[in-house]
Amino acid sequence: MPRDPKYDVLFEPIQLGPKTMKNRFYQIPHCNGFGSEKPLSQAYFRAMKAEGGYGACCTEYCSISPESDDTHRVSARLWDDDDVKNLSVMCEMLHEHGALAAAELWYGGPHAPCMESRSVPRGPSQIPSDFEYLTYAKEMDKDDIREVQQLYVDAAKRAREAGFDIVYVYGSHSYLPQQFLTPYYNKRTDEYGGSLENRARFWRETIEQVREAVGDDTAIAVRMSCDMFMGDAGTQLERDCLPFVELCDEIVDVWDINVSGISEWGEDATPSRFYPSGRLLPWQEAVKKVSKKPVLGVGRFTSPDLMVDAINSGKLDIIATCRPSISDPFLPQKIDEGRLDDIRECIGCNICISRWEIGGPPVICTQNATAGEEYRRGWHPEKFDTAENADNDALVVGAGPAGMECAMILGKRGMRRVHLVEAEEDMGGIMRWIPQLPGLGEWARVVNYRKIQIDKLPNVEFIPGTTLDANGVKEYGAEIVVIATGANWVTDGLNGCTHDTISGADASQPWCLTPEQIMRDGKEVPGGNVLIVDNDGYFMGVSLAEKLASEGKKVTLMTHLGHIAPYMHFTLEAPNQHRKLHKLGVDIVPYHIPTRIEQGAVTATHVYDDEAHEQTWDADAVVLVTQRRSNEALYRELKDRVGFDALEQEGITGCYRIGDCEAPRLIADCVFSGHRLAREIDSDNPEVPKPFIRERRVIERELAVA
Amino acid sequence: MRIVVCVKQVAVLGDEVEFADDALDVDPDYLDFALNEWDSYATEEALRTRESLDADDDEIVVVSVGDPRAENAIRRCLAMGADRAIRVDRSGSADPITLARLLAPVVQREAPDLVFCGVQSSDAVQAATGTALAELLGLPRVAVVTRIEWDPGGARATVHRELEGGLVDVTEVNLPALLTIQTGINQPRYATLRAIKQAEQKEIEVVSPAEGGEPAFRVCRMFVPPREEGAQMLDGGPADIARRIREIIEERLK
Repeated sequence: MPRDPKYDVLFEPIQLGPKTMKNRFYQIPHCNGFGSEKPLSQAYFRAMKAEGGYGACCTEYCSISPESDDTHRVSARLWDDDDVKNLSVMCEMLHEHGALAAAELWYGGPHAPCMESRSVPRGPSQIPSDFEYLTYAKEMDKDDIREVQQLYVDAAKRAREAGFDIVYVYGSHSYLPQQFLTPYYNKRTDEYGGSLENRARFWRETIEQVREAVGDDTAIAVRMSCDMFMGDAGTQLERDCLPFVELCDEIVDVWDINVSGISEWGEDATPSRFYPSGRLLPWQEAVKKVSKKPVLGVGRFTSPDLMVDAINSGKLDIIATCRPSISDPFLPQKIDEGRLDDIRECIGCNICISRWEIGGPPVICTQNATAGEEYRRGWHPEKFDTAENADNDALVVGAGPAGMECAMILGKRGMRRVHLVEAEEDMGGIMRWIPQLPGLGEWARVVNYRKIQIDKLPNVEFIPGTTLDANGVKEYGAEIVVIATGANWVTDGLNGCTHDTISGADASQPWCLTPEQIMRDGKEVPGGNVLIVDNDGYFMGVSLAEKLASEGKKVTLMTHLGHIAPYMHFTLEAPNQHRKLHKLGVDIVPYHIPTRIEQGAVTATHVYDDEAHEQTWDADAVVLVTQRRSNEALYRELKDRVGFDALEQEGITGCYRIGDCEAPRLIADCVFSGHRLAREIDSDNPEVPKPFIRERRVIERELAVA
Repeated sequence: MRIVVCVKQVAVLGDEVEFADDALDVDPDYLDFALNEWDSYATEEALRTRESLDADDDEIVVVSVGDPRAENAIRRCLAMGADRAIRVDRSGSADPITLARLLAPVVQREAPDLVFCGVQSSDAVQAATGTALAELLGLPRVAVVTRIEWDPGGARATVHRELEGGLVDVTEVNLPALLTIQTGINQPRYATLRAIKQAEQKEIEVVSPAEGGEPAFRVCRMFVPPREEGAQMLDGGPADIARRIREIIEERLK
């Protein structure tokens, strides 16, 4: 279908200083775990978005010097000519698709722990980082300022040499230039501190010098946070940012506008749990009103209507996306071709970001199993080769995230027939009820996207309301059987802390409940006092606490961990979730594990108390968020009772487990599991993942023959 | 007991539609094909009737009019559990009366105790083939059936039929008879892959079409109605808007 003319504005070229961008789709700087040291993974990852229609793609933050070394986290680097070589691959591949390449030059100051380089970072004032522990900067004197500015200039020249069309002098997220601009970081009394003009001096001089060095043929971008949400201490729109834009507008080719500091940068990379698309538009619009230069910015835009509205209403010139471009690198092309229902919309879970926060693992995505696998596994999100065993019929049992993904990809790989059989009346599995937890509505996109795709595939049939036993599977008539029957929260308190059940825990009692019983089965939570035992550490315990507290119950949330939901620090959901629970009066009891549960009371001890002193909490209801266990009964029946030999006699050549049914895991990993099996369904042994390319240095030498 | 189920392979529109060069039909390149939804309920009801009456010599025969492509829909019914199938070999779309004339001699030859048709087809939506066929066969007919309760032995049934406005007509019918089956009467079963494979192996009897006679209507031209000007936006509160709508309608009715 042709593009709807109402989206034409998204496909108009725009001038960025000396460079022309072919359309309004810009991939904002974001991390992927590849940096400049996995250069092919990096290049293939970015190039996929250029192939999908993005007009420009940027590196992640790109360090200009060993003084700005973010290890354990992975940044790109432009420290020397070898980095130039490595990043030049990305530039070349982007250019082949007609996209511009951008490098986000980065100096972290006190936030850079320099764990690999063991260098000492420099900063405007000597106050330890609010993001890291135990990292201090050396307070810069005038010589330091000149030297660091020269580091920017040298890195900019290397960026141009690598082939980058756009270089940033990056400040947002509380990095060095913005540290100078912000009283929270800048306590100086010389001409680089105090008044706005003084606080702006370092950044302005640096932009001038970079422009002088490369500006004749390279566009200069500045990324600035326009509100740190810290009151007077933080950068503020009216006081600091708009005057700074007026001061520097002449020497900047494009403004990249966002909000937040680094310690709560979930205010910028907003989880869908708390913010809808376009939450940054008021700040972007304010800058656009005072600037004569193009303004770009993020807002987790997945809807072309919102994108068009942002441009037509004068709030943005260029639609920058990070997470939506990970979820669907072909977002621009799908809009261009009028294939809106093929867009794999970002759900805003921030599982991608969690990998950067953890520090090192490659990017993953709940919606797009191929994210990060472009080079090392050779996966393309939109292209599928016909399976060598495509003349087979496949039966997938269970239509949760793993089963849906597997059936969809088997269908796209041209299997003769795929039957996706589900006990419930609709697709989704756990994703039928998880999106009903507070704030998680957008997570339902995991189901919606796959449902629409499966409906379009003539060789995939969804069969609802049908429970198959081992005999039913055996006689179903498929050559390939995939079991995706999911997992359930345990009913007896078995947990990863004590590796034992909890005495008295029994969710067959009316006062003892599991998450599924509450959310899926509608089991009533009795009484006014609820105690939730959370040994899981991610969203389930806190989400149920929020839900039950919002319904007027007095909620106690007990965990053996030091924090409630520590994984939500990685997804940037933690700060606002803590605020919510605090506001709702939820009592948080860390470092405690129940020893005994009975009707009306929970008895627990401190995990580090060697004498095991017990304390008792009143509880009309106890919710067990202790651990999940795979629903593997059907698989075990097939493997242990019927036997794979007997299945083979029925013509079943392979029987596999995917997703939670194999081992409970993140939704993103369930989707990956289903995708991986379908991608490799024609390999020698589909059960075992094929090796992937590991980008590493290999020593050239002969191995001794044993 | 022998039950004949008359089914149709319907055309399903995709996102885009173009007309054929002669403007008499939709260009088949833009169509998908599937078993008519109503007919899957009719087939299921035949299977359930057989199961509930539990007689040894019961047979379910599927009859359809269409070209070889229509065998996909027929095989879907065989995979669900029908015993036998007959295709009246004729290509192109036809009006309901013509279809009934083509079906009648084939159904007659089978001498069925019971004939099921879907209430209507999802592509033509005329809801006439079943009743026309009953007329040609001289059978009593009950249209838009939502429930069937069999007397012991199966010679007579109490039948619920859906009327307009939520009314239900409860009536009795003696066999032989023709019933047109409404969606929702049951939950059609899904065929396993094995049943689908077995259905692929089954022979479908192909018979030449009888004389269709004069069609009930002819398609002269298909076209997209021209867009007309004159949308009028009404402002104000609900009561104001309602009053204005009433005035406009009254003006137009004059």
